[in-house]
Amino acid sequence: MRHLTRLAAVAALGAVMGTGVVAQELFAPNLSYRTGPFAATGIPLMNGQRDYMNMLNARDGGIGGVKINFEECETGYSTEKGVECYEKTKGQAIVTQPWSTGITLQVLPKTNVDEIPILAPGYGFSPMADGKVFQWAFNTPASYWDAASMMLRYIGDENLKGKKVAFLHLDHPFGKEPLPLLEKKAADIGFELLPIPVGLKEMQNQSAQWLQIRRERPDYVIMWGWGAMNAGAITEAVKTRFPMDKMIGVWWSGHDADLKIVGADGKGYKSISFSYPVLDAPVMADIKKYVVDAGDSLSNEEEMQGVFYSRGLVISMILAEGIKAAQAHTGKAEISASDLRWGLENLNVTDAVLADLGMTGMVPPFQTTCANHTGHSGGWMLEWDGEKFVKVSDLLQAEAEVIQPLEAATAAEYATANAPWAVSETCN
Amino acid sequence: MLYRTAGQFKTSYEADQALFPVRQDAILLGVILAFAWVIFPLTASEFTFQTLLIPILIYALAAMGLNILTGYAGQLSLGTAAFMGVGAYACYKMVTIMPWMNPVVAIMLSGVFSAGVGVAFGIPSLRIKGFYLAIATLAAQFFLVWLFEKWAWLYNYNASGAIQVPNLEMFGVYVAGPQADSMVQYYVVLAIVSVMTMLCINLTRGNLGRTWKATRDVDIAAELIGINLMKSKLTAFMVSSYVVGVAGALFVFMWRGAAEPNLFDIPLSFRILFIAIIGGLGSILGNYLGAILIVGLPVVLGTLPAALGIPIASSTVEHINVMMVGGLIVFFLIIEPHGLAQLWRLIREKLIIWPFPH
Repeated sequence: MRHLTRLAAVAALGAVMGTGVVAQELFAPNLSYRTGPFAATGIPLMNGQRDYMNMLNARDGGIGGVKINFEECETGYSTEKGVECYEKTKGQAIVTQPWSTGITLQVLPKTNVDEIPILAPGYGFSPMADGKVFQWAFNTPASYWDAASMMLRYIGDENLKGKKVAFLHLDHPFGKEPLPLLEKKAADIGFELLPIPVGLKEMQNQSAQWLQIRRERPDYVIMWGWGAMNAGAITEAVKTRFPMDKMIGVWWSGHDADLKIVGADGKGYKSISFSYPVLDAPVMADIKKYVVDAGDSLSNEEEMQGVFYSRGLVISMILAEGIKAAQAHTGKAEISASDLRWGLENLNVTDAVLADLGMTGMVPPFQTTCANHTGHSGGWMLEWDGEKFVKVSDLLQAEAEVIQPLEAATAAEYATANAPWAVSETCN
Repeated sequence: MLYRTAGQFKTSYEADQALFPVRQDAILLGVILAFAWVIFPLTASEFTFQTLLIPILIYALAAMGLNILTGYAGQLSLGTAAFMGVGAYACYKMVTIMPWMNPVVAIMLSGVFSAGVGVAFGIPSLRIKGFYLAIATLAAQFFLVWLFEKWAWLYNYNASGAIQVPNLEMFGVYVAGPQADSMVQYYVVLAIVSVMTMLCINLTRGNLGRTWKATRDVDIAAELIGINLMKSKLTAFMVSSYVVGVAGALFVFMWRGAAEPNLFDIPLSFRILFIAIIGGLGSILGNYLGAILIVGLPVVLGTLPAALGIPIASSTVEHINVMMVGGLIVFFLIIEPHGLAQLWRLIREKLIIWPFPH
């Protein structure tokens, strides 16, 4: 009993103080994962996000004169911890950044009730693009279906017809995300799609999957991997001498450290990406000056040159631009969660804006609207040249005419399954 | 002092065999129940409901189910999470096929499915014991999780392979799904857990419970005095899986709101086994104490640095947290290898004879 009361007292105290009112700053928590099996891929992203916000705080005194409190809540990529973090931060937060498709699926219905924008750049649920149904969810600038469509476009319809494409994916909501689009395209173009799931337990040892790939001899391997799965797949591909230039990963499978393991043997491996590291960009100089030299960064020289670190910068930029737009619209510096939703819905990141931010070439320009929460920026195909990732394509665009009906149908299905589901009446 | 039993005379066999032969125990339970039913709901925040109160109750219930099998009947099982999964998926299928169904009825019925599956996987226990049985239940664990992944009908052919809890109403109030209020969910969980606890206490004190304990202690001797081992072991599997299945349905419907197959993988089984072992095998109270230690404590420890204003990074807190909880588990097991329930039992005995220990 004493146990219980004391515990409850501590809990109550913690709950009251943990969510205490913080004046004069915007609370934009990040549900980070610097621990656990996915930490290797998480850390550079988290560092990039954190450094960008720290840079804004140090250089401009925050956004619109208000400091950004970019606190991290550690999830270890565990859904249970993620929900705990969401509950802990939602009282004061103007945004939630769940950082895992599993956590996103879990908190997505809750954000619609709690009315907090959920920012999942480049991940989460692809139909979140439908802003009418998913009023509070944003997967700006590109969704998984965009990624799959861009990959197929890069290969080209004429190269796909009658061919066999293996889809090596994590057996997890994340890995299954692009399946509906790939299946549809397989039927339309006429190629054989061979889904090969990799269980969470088999991530490091994919010999069974690669045996199957050797037996089936697919013409292309499309990979939807994350964390330890990427390194596992790439080393197995090298071991089985699969032609690396026929292997294309999603943006989360394009981590420099995974390719450095194989070095020159990984030459030709491709990864679609909505971001690209531009090392001489003015924003990098500012980060060096205000964050790294001030000893405020958790990152290091090598990591900062990678694709993932710069993607972290882009992701924080999207949030910062959303906050700016909301501040300009409402005329007040301390915006609320619903103001931020307006901001994220009215992003217009043009080339001029990017130049102004010092991020030219780091992300393609994109624009969101009330009905389009993704912005469909398109992306570039990156290729591993043995030492780093380089751009090998012009800007690729996803097939909006194929994706949009699919998005609308899936979103409507989701809304009916979760009825009553509040949809936005205002946008058209 | 507080526990003085002087003056409490038992004049009938009934009084002597009562659930609480010492009056103070009954008062203590009354106070705990008052806290659980009135004071916590009135004072708790959304965060406390979602990260402490609801999960502790659900995990305690799951551990109770396992405890019946492992602690009372002596059959070691490593498949708890899979049986929870059966309950969760059964409940999901029921409410999606029959949306008019009362959610509480669906939750209670979902235990029936896991009881059936539990009995099927309990059959090997008639031939094998101990670690070998643990391996057989491990097979259930792997097989069922594989089934949750591959059998698309179970998750209604959802593209992501996950199940999502729809909004469910009961008497005009949402009890499950994103629209449901945490307090309502807490009361539903509390009511179900209370009823199941009563059921378990009575079962384990009664004829069936004694049969299980005899089977656990020396099964050959139990057989010699006329206990049907098959019946004893299979009923243990059945009751245990039923409780675990209900806990699984509550786990997804009243707390998580969505679940993917690998949620029911082996780490969850181990977590529940740890709760049962640290709480105390062969005890009902222990499940609650274990759940408070394993589920509640990390959450409380995680909020402490922020509450005390100590600026440490969240990932560092997480690392420290894991170390501290691990250390505490070792500490508690060293001071009392039979679990927290036994620790409480000793404290209580000391209190009764205090200040004149013999």
